[in-house]
Amino acid sequence: MDDSPPPPPNDAPDTQTPPPPQQTSIHTGSPTDFLKGVVGKKVIVRLNSGVDYRGVLSCLDGYMNIALEQTEEHVEGNVTNRYGDAFIRGNNVLYISAAEAI
Amino acid sequence: MASQVLPLELIDKCIGSRIWVVMKSEREFTGTLLGFDDFVNMVLEDVTEYEMTAQGTKKTKLGQTLLNGNNICMLIPGSDGPES
Repeated sequence: MDDSPPPPPNDAPDTQTPPPPQQTSIHTGSPTDFLKGVVGKKVIVRLNSGVDYRGVLSCLDGYMNIALEQTEEHVEGNVTNRYGDAFIRGNNVLYISAAEAI
Repeated sequence: MASQVLPLELIDKCIGSRIWVVMKSEREFTGTLLGFDDFVNMVLEDVTEYEMTAQGTKKTKLGQTLLNGNNICMLIPGSDGPES
């Protein structure tokens, strides 16, 4: 039988405990973190067809389905259409690029 | 048994360094790799996009970019693209 006393509680001073991780908008770089960071920002969405949609990202999901506001459709550098709101189905998305600092 | 490096481990080691991404189509990207997920969707920074057309190569500079992994063909770590 082991009747030795239990180890003493860790009574290290409170300053030794690490601070809780900062849950701010700091992004570690993963796609999920990027997407959290760009909501509400101006973005450029390029489709596989080469057409660009520039606007404010209002929301998106894991399929890269995207809702944009104040959208401009760019084809070969020229604005070809403007939409107040636009929904883009995610399978067409080549990339989402931040057009302003995150 | 000899230790082996899994493909995605290799890409994980590239986080923070430059990488060259070749797509299935005539399109390539270079940038600093910030992260990626299981689908190999990639977050890149200081990106240059190269579109190879019959008229020549069109270059586009981009900031932080999430590149859809669906059309990625090949990744070349440590390279700065077709011009290096």
